[in-house]
Amino acid sequence: MNPSLHFRPLRPAVAADDATTLDLLITVATPPLPAELMARPRPPLNLVLVIDRSGSMDGSKLSYARKAARFLAGELTARDRLAIVTFDDEVNVLVPSQAVRDPLTFISAINTIQAGGCTALFDGWLAGATQVAQQLDPTALNRVLLLSDGQANEGLTDAGAIAAKVEGLTQRGISTSAFGLGSGFDEDLMGAIAAAGDGTLAQIESPRQLADLYASELQGLTSTIGRKVSLGIRAKHGAELVDVLNDLPQNVAGNHQLPNLRHGQELNVGVRLQLPAWAANQEIASVRLAWDSPQQQSRQSLVEHLTLPVQPQAELEELQCDPVVAEQFALLQANRERRQAIEALDQGDLQGALFSIAAMDQRLADLPQSEAIQCERQLLAEKRELMQQDRNLSRKRLRREALRSSLNVWEADDDNQTNS
Amino acid sequence: MVQPPPGSASADPDAAEVLYGLEQLLELAGEQLGEEISSRTVRLYATEGLIDRPGKDGRRAVYGQRHLLQLLLVRSLARRGLSLSAIAPLVAGDDEALQEQLSQLDDGLEASTPARESNDALDYLHSIQSSASEPSPSLLPLLGAPLSSRSPSLRASRMAGRSNASSSRWHRFQLAPGVELHLSESASIPPTRVRREAWLQRLIDRLREQLDHQE
Repeated sequence: MNPSLHFRPLRPAVAADDATTLDLLITVATPPLPAELMARPRPPLNLVLVIDRSGSMDGSKLSYARKAARFLAGELTARDRLAIVTFDDEVNVLVPSQAVRDPLTFISAINTIQAGGCTALFDGWLAGATQVAQQLDPTALNRVLLLSDGQANEGLTDAGAIAAKVEGLTQRGISTSAFGLGSGFDEDLMGAIAAAGDGTLAQIESPRQLADLYASELQGLTSTIGRKVSLGIRAKHGAELVDVLNDLPQNVAGNHQLPNLRHGQELNVGVRLQLPAWAANQEIASVRLAWDSPQQQSRQSLVEHLTLPVQPQAELEELQCDPVVAEQFALLQANRERRQAIEALDQGDLQGALFSIAAMDQRLADLPQSEAIQCERQLLAEKRELMQQDRNLSRKRLRREALRSSLNVWEADDDNQTNS
Repeated sequence: MVQPPPGSASADPDAAEVLYGLEQLLELAGEQLGEEISSRTVRLYATEGLIDRPGKDGRRAVYGQRHLLQLLLVRSLARRGLSLSAIAPLVAGDDEALQEQLSQLDDGLEASTPARESNDALDYLHSIQSSASEPSPSLLPLLGAPLSSRSPSLRASRMAGRSNASSSRWHRFQLAPGVELHLSESASIPPTRVRREAWLQRLIDRLREQLDHQE
């Protein structure tokens, strides 16, 4: 039932007589949901749906949001709790947190939601979080689902300050997912909230996707086996960790934060270590995975130690690179480099942004064209085209794709990416 | 509790400064604040100009005592609900000023440490709710000197009001819904804890007299 840790080096040895730059893929794998568990009741959910009903949500967006909220209420059972909060410039607790005995109670309330004024996003989150906190159950999955199509323009609006407050709540057992809808939301803010919230980031361009998103979020919540997941990489004997390609946030202990772990998932973390000339059988690093489990009170952890064969430098260069590792590193690198394209866009440098996309594609073109690489190149080609037609949308998509390395990012089925 | 980092009070520019890597900085600040600080937070603060840009040691970013002081102060103020733009002018002072602000905050924190309750999350939300809904700027930077010599952000935020005798200016702070405190620009709040307590006590006595009188 527990996750496992695997090491896969780009080259299967390190140098005995010279320094080595060691590229290492660390894979966190979780077992699929066992059949006997599927029959057993899942942990209860304690959720709030916080819906933006600011003026910009008017029309079809709000009608789909209502529809999706009705779907969500219909999927929950009497063991689960749900609250519904709406916000514009004011916050309204539409349905206070209660067990979902009769979905109709929720549905009739949802049908009354009308579009209003400004976007007091933080206050909406706060009211929603309070609904969940009042019913906080350490054995349940406690989460705020925040849906917004706008920029926070009322109340607290500073992204860093909002994220800091969301992070404080995560530490106290309530996570937050951030769902951006349409073309007007602030992708940097929503990304920061989902990262600080230890939740899911979704960017939906069409409100039609909302019901699918909620279904996937429920599925993800019920198959969650680890929250507040951290990866501690300790290099030994003079080895040094020089890079983590996923750009994972770090906590005070120097550990890297991973997204929630779910059943049947594989998470790849690419790291680069710098080693002096290495002695045989000498441990290179230990890696410790730690997580909070919904079933257990205490924090869970597991440790793996890395040792690799040593060879003379000259022979090392002859060794084949592991194509799987090379591919994963290239994909992580491409996610990271999207940030450069975003920076260029922010400076109004369209040529610079196009150039960095072209450079990413060039590196991917040099690799064996596996399905994953082809998908990635297709995403880049789309961005290149989109950048000249709709800079805002291309920036949003680039941000979402850049965050795939460090967050649970929802991907619609018609995207070419598989949703982990 | 926030403790001033050892040795930082005597700001001797010639003394070889202790430098930290990002990890060490996060660890030190985390220990003192009792909360986890992420590298992202530090980067954000640096971009926002709340923390000075780190120095460079080769490819590595290095941080000194001043960065640590700034980080401690920003976090401590942010936890009290100040927005980053309100914090910015407060972390621009020299090391000594930062140090002093920190120890002032420390006093306040000790006084208001809440008992640990069963529902930490709810307490937490209540605490950020009350601070987020407080529209007035903090009184904190007004300690010890007349308002007129204080930061531009506070002067900008003052609400104009004129007394009859002179054209002295007044600052207005909301203490609770429907309750405001007006402070003349020439007023000064005693900076030391003992004197400040006595001053507050006198104010409370005055207020109580007024209320009793009304009855």
